[in-house]
Amino acid sequence: MKTIRLGAATGWSRDKFDAAEDLVEHGNIHYLCFDSMSEITMSAAQVSKIEKPNLPGYDPYLESRMTPILKSCHEKGIKIITNSGWLDPVGAAQKVAEIAKKMGLHNLKVAAVSGGILTETIADMGLDFMEHGEPISSCRDKIVSAEVYLGAKGIVEALEAGADIVITTRVGDGCVYLGPLAYEFKWDFSDYDAIAKGMIIGHLMECGAQVSGGYFADPGYKDVPNLHDVGNPIAEVTEDQIFITKNPHKGGVVSTETCKEQLLYEIQDPSHYYLPDVVADLTKVAFKQVEKNRVEVIIDDGAGLPETDTYKALIGLKEGYMAEEMAVFAGPGAMERAELTKTILNESFKKLNLNASEIRMDYLGLNAIHRESSPASGHIPYEVILRVAIKTETKDEAEKLRIAIDPLAVNGPAGTGKWGSIGGSRVRPIIGLNSALVPKKDVPYEVTIIDLKSTITQ
Amino acid sequence: MLVKLREVAHARSGEKGDLSNISVIAYNEEDYEIIKNQVTVEAVRKLYGPITKGDIIRYEVPRIGALNFVLHGILEGGRSRTLAFDESGKALSSLMLTMDIEVSDTYIPRSAKMQALKGAN
Repeated sequence: MKTIRLGAATGWSRDKFDAAEDLVEHGNIHYLCFDSMSEITMSAAQVSKIEKPNLPGYDPYLESRMTPILKSCHEKGIKIITNSGWLDPVGAAQKVAEIAKKMGLHNLKVAAVSGGILTETIADMGLDFMEHGEPISSCRDKIVSAEVYLGAKGIVEALEAGADIVITTRVGDGCVYLGPLAYEFKWDFSDYDAIAKGMIIGHLMECGAQVSGGYFADPGYKDVPNLHDVGNPIAEVTEDQIFITKNPHKGGVVSTETCKEQLLYEIQDPSHYYLPDVVADLTKVAFKQVEKNRVEVIIDDGAGLPETDTYKALIGLKEGYMAEEMAVFAGPGAMERAELTKTILNESFKKLNLNASEIRMDYLGLNAIHRESSPASGHIPYEVILRVAIKTETKDEAEKLRIAIDPLAVNGPAGTGKWGSIGGSRVRPIIGLNSALVPKKDVPYEVTIIDLKSTITQ
Repeated sequence: MLVKLREVAHARSGEKGDLSNISVIAYNEEDYEIIKNQVTVEAVRKLYGPITKGDIIRYEVPRIGALNFVLHGILEGGRSRTLAFDESGKALSSLMLTMDIEVSDTYIPRSAKMQALKGAN
């Protein structure tokens, strides 16, 4: 029976990479898959491109991640699937081809899956924002980015064309796993149970170590061995069975508990998980610990519901500026001095006529994380950090926070310490994200193949 | 007796736009009824109400002994535009674990179980 082993290289754009190298060397895997994005990745990349047009539009980590694994993957026949193409998957594929060539690897096909970037067109598509129903055209001048989450069909086509490495633009995160599975098991995209199975595997794997002990440890309640050396997960898939496991010599844990946490991670209605190629019913999933660090994923029939006729798009909007500062206090009276500083700052804001749409002042260690839901503290803290953040329409308004707080170095309460003492602007632009549903028929995708063999003979 | 939810269940939070989801998963699937009966929308609103601008919705996932809460409008606009210090709300799940839960007097809390396991090893 055919068994396919997929390894998770990373869970997001700035994840560590040593676990991926370990999977390549010792994981006995057929595919190394990685999600190299988060929700804000594409809008941030568009902003960088505007500021520095010469920067590549793909993941800046691409070269440093591909270089250590390309040769080994090629020798072992491990195929690589990643969404590190960001705004420029073709450019990313060319870059990888160039690296491979330099290494003397010539028998290699690198594919790019592009499409779905709607920055220039989305305001004219007659669509509304999902959040508040306003027409997207009303924000035309604020749009800096817009892209859909494509499905896995482009990845399958690339693999059918013989690609060894597939680099995509934004796809549903789990698609980097569904793609190779649909290709290997020849799943039809109208077989929704099969496609849902692929996406459930993808969902469990897409955040890397989050299913193998990361984002999980709570000493005395949920202990994780050697978290500092956590191994990334491996999905072992046959036509009938699915297992999640990891390399035994690495740290971390794969248990029914880690799998359950990851199954519900970032989910709204578990019975209707909307994905580009299918709607998955996660209430039909169960887990069984079959051995240490090896969990069987059991998916009942009927977990796949028909796909919708839309893709979800993320739209990045210019929304003004924010600034953040902190003042630090310790020892006797720390709390009182932090509170006095808050009063001083509020008076300074009045003098400066600060026009801020939001102002937030929290005491780190007391109420900055759970904010107004923080339980009352029963003790006097030894240290207090006053953290101030403001949101404004213009950059000049946001600069007023620095103007108000920097003088406290000499005219604030006794023992006022300062965070971020380097001078200059500490204001940053806000790119807010909204979403919309875009008819699939209006969003084509394209597969480009770079064949190193033919580029040599030409 | 009263214990904290932390002794009965574990939790993980995630974000999508301006909402957080917080899963509550019974350590033992047979304790699903305990969390189903006591970790109600009302009980969750008591904890998260002051920072949740929109609806709080509960979904039941009995197959794995879990509940999934979706808290709308809790991230002050979402990670991309929030002034909240924990911009993605990844630390929000720990508040859930402070909830008081009524269990039988013979109930063995998770921390005691783990302690016993450590002793046995």
